[in-house]
Amino acid sequence: MNPPFNVRTVIYGILALVLFSLGIKLIPISENLDDFFAEEMYQVSYKYFLKTEEQKTFVKTFLPKNNAHQRIRQEHFGKKPYWTFQRNAEGDNIKGLWFTGKDNSYESLDYTFTFEGKAQTFQVPTTFGKPKPIDPKYLKETKFIQSNHPKIASIANRLTKGLQTDRQKVKAIFDFVNKIPSAPIINLTDAITALEQNRASCNGKSRLLVALARNLGYPARVHGGIILEEISKRTSHAWAEIHINDKWIPFDPLNGHFAYLPSNYLELYEGDEFLISHTPGIQLDYIYEIHKQHKVPFLRMNAGEVSKISPISFWGLIENKIISAEALLLLLMLPIGGLLVAFLRNVVGLRTFGVFLPVLIAFALLETGFSTGILLFIILILLVGIISRPFNNLGLLHTPKLVISLTLMVLVMTVGSYLGSIYNVPWLTALTFFPTIILTISAERFSSLIVEDGFQKATSTLFQTLIAVGFCYFLLSNNWLSSLLILFPEVLMLVIVLSMILGKYIGLRWTEILRFKPLLNLKTA
Amino acid sequence: MWDKWFKIKNNLGVIGLNRRNLELIYPHNQRKYYSLADDKVKTKELLQKHNIACAETFTVITKVSEIKKKWALCEGKEALAIKPANGCGGGGIKILKKTAEGHWKSGGKIVNETHIFQHITSIVSGLYSMNSSDSCLIEECIVPHPFFSEIYDEGVPDFRLITLKEKPIMAMLRMPTSKSDGKANLHQKGVGIGVDMKKGTLTQVYDGKKYRDHHPDNPNKINGKPIPYWNTMVDLAIKTAEAFPLDYLGIDLVIDAAKGPQVMEVNVRPGLGIQLVNRCGLERAIKLRYKSV
Repeated sequence: MNPPFNVRTVIYGILALVLFSLGIKLIPISENLDDFFAEEMYQVSYKYFLKTEEQKTFVKTFLPKNNAHQRIRQEHFGKKPYWTFQRNAEGDNIKGLWFTGKDNSYESLDYTFTFEGKAQTFQVPTTFGKPKPIDPKYLKETKFIQSNHPKIASIANRLTKGLQTDRQKVKAIFDFVNKIPSAPIINLTDAITALEQNRASCNGKSRLLVALARNLGYPARVHGGIILEEISKRTSHAWAEIHINDKWIPFDPLNGHFAYLPSNYLELYEGDEFLISHTPGIQLDYIYEIHKQHKVPFLRMNAGEVSKISPISFWGLIENKIISAEALLLLLMLPIGGLLVAFLRNVVGLRTFGVFLPVLIAFALLETGFSTGILLFIILILLVGIISRPFNNLGLLHTPKLVISLTLMVLVMTVGSYLGSIYNVPWLTALTFFPTIILTISAERFSSLIVEDGFQKATSTLFQTLIAVGFCYFLLSNNWLSSLLILFPEVLMLVIVLSMILGKYIGLRWTEILRFKPLLNLKTA
Repeated sequence: MWDKWFKIKNNLGVIGLNRRNLELIYPHNQRKYYSLADDKVKTKELLQKHNIACAETFTVITKVSEIKKKWALCEGKEALAIKPANGCGGGGIKILKKTAEGHWKSGGKIVNETHIFQHITSIVSGLYSMNSSDSCLIEECIVPHPFFSEIYDEGVPDFRLITLKEKPIMAMLRMPTSKSDGKANLHQKGVGIGVDMKKGTLTQVYDGKKYRDHHPDNPNKINGKPIPYWNTMVDLAIKTAEAFPLDYLGIDLVIDAAKGPQVMEVNVRPGLGIQLVNRCGLERAIKLRYKSV
């Protein structure tokens, strides 16, 4: 490849510009490179509102700590006159204690921190090894976890009868508790009540699972925390942990997480405890204010902090709600996806329906999930391609014919979504995520290709389009790339450079190597 | 770039789509002149202006209101072809022949005037051109030279000559087969037959998969078979290339039984399958052609 001088000048010019701009930003940012790779980031505030009484008043709660699942940063205690704050270790847990002697006054307390979390999946071995000695309390019966109760014993016995391995047994009791209908019960539900009522909330279910596990001789405990999401809430969460091969493995029987801890679970304490305790008899109200932060996976900072370092990034647009993060991402990823399609077409030699269709379909798949989306795409193209066939034979002009296909496409999509919603089939309701017009044109091209070149070539083009969609999907679902683009939009200039190089590529396409194989001298290594 | 990685030796100088576009089409064919080749009516006007042999135009219909008046000019003919000026892939072409009783017959069926007018109307309103309107070309019907029926007796075979800056580079003969439904296109199961440009003879038959020395429907060997009027066809191609302001062309020629070689079509984006048919890359063919001059 020997691009003429002017092309080269443009390429070097753009590269110099990009490097200069990146250089200015990269130096401060590089000091914050991070290897924790959290998937989600939240800002969490505990807020307490209370009226102190005559005696000393205290409020106690559990504070989060760092571990392999979560990282806590920027802890902040709102300093209040007359209040003292203490942080105490209590076994494995950390407790925060606020106390004051100030009486008869309305007070508010708050504690804020940033949470970064990543999901954890644990392996549950078929047979558990011999455990090291463990605190016997994890096998003992308690007031609310009646692990020796005959009812618990008989259920545990019935569920694990004939099962050979430890894993099967744990799975059996987990499935049993998981299947108990969930109910938002605020009152404390003990293991027996959860079993008898056959409905329970997180605390009842986790106590029941712990009781069953302890009955079978597996050390188990309740674990407390908060499920983080973009709302203000009062509910905390509890799940169970079973001690397997000297590790505490999480099991959430309410949300069906078997040996899995989602990235937005804030871990706070182990043990069958209440998250908040306070001086009895005082009026106290509380709320947990939670805000999702835009996480930059490879940096120890959130998006806002980054924009302080480098004002030229797009986070400002998102923070000021001028454009949603998703819409911005779509916009920025479009050129990258386009470049990928250009590569697949001009270098690999794939034939696709439309130039940018694979990118847009890949975006739709981000909403629907990969395999469901691919299936829906094939169904849509085939169905509309086939039901618009009779109209081809009527000898209609091209544009009105296209309108008919478009109408059929919209009808199929809306009827599908409607059926999906009344029969509660979630994947059918996902139909509306697809870019209708471009899909219509593809369906149209597909059906005319069948007529022109036969079914085989038409399906081959469809298949090649799917391959391109697959590549685009895996490119677009990469959240490193998306963070990179939002932070360093100048990377898009590199798309221009690469496109210029690609635009001068005169080599054979890979598919042409196959086509012209009889004329080429193919040598392997 | 990749050929180095994959250790591919392209000794025959095969050119791919990327290289054809960047080095042959873009520098040699200006987009503003594309319509001279894409529009059959414009092509024929230019050919006739330069006295290049091509099928005689009976009439050109551009408006629905002209159909009746202009059809009257054609009614006396014995055979004719109705074509959309901007059609593609042979869509919309209708061959009409008169029976002994004086009725028009198309594909073995008697058609009346209403049918013919309907067909012309759909051509003029752009049904076959992906456009809002088109012209309808009515021209003389070619009767293939007996040379072709010696090889295969159906459909209309044609020669494709590639010219670069008025020099013919490569040629092939495209023939229908019993599987190709009268069509001579390689990707529609027709076959391509290589041409020795210097000798004016046929070389080998390529059906898209393998090479033979005979047409799939006829066991007689064709290699070395001389092509009638070969020098006339080369001259026609050169004259055509000179007449068009386009420097890289695929020129399609047929041989009429009575009138000899005729230019049928001119193509600005000729396909690359011709390299396979002739077992030679275009790059090599171009080098050879320019060295020998």
